[in-house]
Amino acid sequence: MRLSRRGLLRAGLAGTAATALGGLATGCAVPTGSTGRNMVLWYWSGGLSDTVVKNAKARYDSAVDLQAIQIGGQYRSKLITTITGQAHIPDIAGLKGEDMASYLPNADQFIDLRTLGAEKYKSRYLTWKWDQGIADDGTMVGFPIDCGPVAHFYQYQVFRRAGLPYEPDDVSKELNTWEKFFDAGEQLGRRVSGAKLLTDVNSVYDNVVNQGSKRYVDKDRHFIGDQEHVRRAWDLAVEAKRRGIVSDLVTGTPDQLSAVQDGKLPSQLGASWATFDLKNGVPKTEGKWRIAQMPVRPSNNGGSFLSITKACREPEQAFEIIAWMLNAANQAQGYVDAGLFPSTPASFGLKQLQEPDDFFGGQVTTDIFGPAAERITVAYNSPYDTALGQPIKDEIKNVGVLGKDPKNAWSDAMSKCRRIAKHLGVSY
Amino acid sequence: MAVLEQTPPAVAKPSPTQPKKGWRKYWHLYAAISPFYLLFLAFGLFPVGFSLYLSFHRWDGLGTMEWAGLSQYQYLLSDTDFWNSIGNTIIIWALATFPMIFLAMVTAVMLNSAVRFKSLYRVAYFLPNVTSVVAIAIVFGSIFATNNGVVNAVLRGVGLDQVAWLNTPWGIKVTIAALMTWQWTGYNAIIFLAGLQTIPSDLYEAARMDGAGPVQTFFRITLPLLRPTLLFVLVVSTVTGLQSFSEPQVLLQTTTNDSTFAGGPGHSGQTMVLYFFQQTFDNNDFGYGAAVAWGIFLVVVLFSIINWRLVQRRGE
Repeated sequence: MRLSRRGLLRAGLAGTAATALGGLATGCAVPTGSTGRNMVLWYWSGGLSDTVVKNAKARYDSAVDLQAIQIGGQYRSKLITTITGQAHIPDIAGLKGEDMASYLPNADQFIDLRTLGAEKYKSRYLTWKWDQGIADDGTMVGFPIDCGPVAHFYQYQVFRRAGLPYEPDDVSKELNTWEKFFDAGEQLGRRVSGAKLLTDVNSVYDNVVNQGSKRYVDKDRHFIGDQEHVRRAWDLAVEAKRRGIVSDLVTGTPDQLSAVQDGKLPSQLGASWATFDLKNGVPKTEGKWRIAQMPVRPSNNGGSFLSITKACREPEQAFEIIAWMLNAANQAQGYVDAGLFPSTPASFGLKQLQEPDDFFGGQVTTDIFGPAAERITVAYNSPYDTALGQPIKDEIKNVGVLGKDPKNAWSDAMSKCRRIAKHLGVSY
Repeated sequence: MAVLEQTPPAVAKPSPTQPKKGWRKYWHLYAAISPFYLLFLAFGLFPVGFSLYLSFHRWDGLGTMEWAGLSQYQYLLSDTDFWNSIGNTIIIWALATFPMIFLAMVTAVMLNSAVRFKSLYRVAYFLPNVTSVVAIAIVFGSIFATNNGVVNAVLRGVGLDQVAWLNTPWGIKVTIAALMTWQWTGYNAIIFLAGLQTIPSDLYEAARMDGAGPVQTFFRITLPLLRPTLLFVLVVSTVTGLQSFSEPQVLLQTTTNDSTFAGGPGHSGQTMVLYFFQQTFDNNDFGYGAAVAWGIFLVVVLFSIINWRLVQRRGE
């Protein structure tokens, strides 16, 4: 056979076309869920303990081929894209806490875990955390992974120098209201030159809102961000600014980190996972920190869930796996590997959580976070919450950073909320 | 190639099946160019069409779509945040582009007359353009830090007040613009350099013979002949500048609690594309996000028309 250039080209093109068509054909027949032994689990880096994932793979090896995939980048976008596209949907999917509000209205995309016998595990988990995984219609979408109890981190020596209570128990007891907390801030500023209690007004505002049992939109799709609970958080944030106990720095910037390191920002209200931010951001402050309860009552920040999607062909098997992966012993492992604070109170007493932490001067941090986790109340989190909370957060930031007049800022925030509420079909 | 080797059909007897015949005859040519069109269809045209469809709906990205008619666009027109983001984008674009063009031109003229290490300089100037924006933004965040930044250290050194660059509306815009200038100056200098090298050297010789100095030569010969290049640079800068996203996002992101698309205090650094991301991915308002995207499209079209008019006028 004579090999002409034309012949080669034709052959090449035909080959390409065949491959493309083949690709299209398989593309049309993509599996929408597990096939045979495959069981696909999606999570993100740090979302689950790698050890537990590995153990689960080995443990259920005789029944399924568990493929745990760490999805990088925009996790939620990728998950909803596959669900909407009805292709390659994972059997088990991790759901981030901050995204729950947007998943719950679409509970029909997931299997109701109650039908798989989830109820009998309920007593082993934090009640508020358990309830966060349940949609308005009662469908249980998410099985609790971790939670993020918020506590008060402070630098022992600086508090001592400022004449403030400095032992964790005393700090918890004596700085137990915002009023006393702010007084302490003023005293700190007087005694330690240049020191501020908190980084910005938003750390007051957000924490006060998070402590409450209401947020911006209620179950009836009504805007409640103009009510007393938000107004109070706003007023406290404004007061913190007025009394000069917040800095003009931005969290996470080099300026802020150096102020923290120098003891000019000796106090933070952070969730359990913030211990890792501190250890990475200001490693030189090792041993200087202690943890106490935050003023008034603990709040929650973060924490995620595992779910079983509608595409899963063996939900019973999948549920058995997630219930095992998230039992008290494995949650303790998750705390060691990835800093995931357990949602199972039985974990708190285990060895892994009772290790003294040198970064916090040998304190057992679970002594604070554990009781905090059990006292948390959470608010209903509407899918419209982000959109309608943002204008208020933006405006309180303007007050804190740009020195905007609080009255104008509040009325600007409200008029913006009114506009957005109307757009989203939320009654005002 | 195949076309050339075929004898053309006789003109005398046109056959009615000719178009089909032609299609059959040339199928492999169509096949050869098809990969681009197929990929474009799937990943270019379809998403564009779908986003238009989406912009007439309400959708949270997961549930069922609801018909919304023109309401998304009505809201877009009255949305002060959107207009604010257009203003921010244009201000940042202008603050970045004009100094950048000036610096790029100066750099190009210097590169053109450099005798030693020519290629080294060219590579060095191009480097910022291929560096990850995220990495640059982190470095710029340190450079423009209020208390510990190099810029403020210099300001204090010469006896001026320090500026809270990343905490004031204008500081934010200037910082983003500085980042973009730094990133694009080298790239455009290379483009200008290519333009400079197309100018025949006899023109310069003639100018010198007529007694023109270097300044006159620049304004009378270099600049007019560089106009097409200048316009190209302007068009490219407009397209990239109107889409600025990573720069403000990385520069102004703070904590995980805060929206990374808010653009700093007072939304001062919120560009159009950041606003689009905020509406779509923070608020899960995909329908409105699509409408915002089309709003951005119209702004870009408007700027393209302005650019095109500039080219036309210069051409006359």
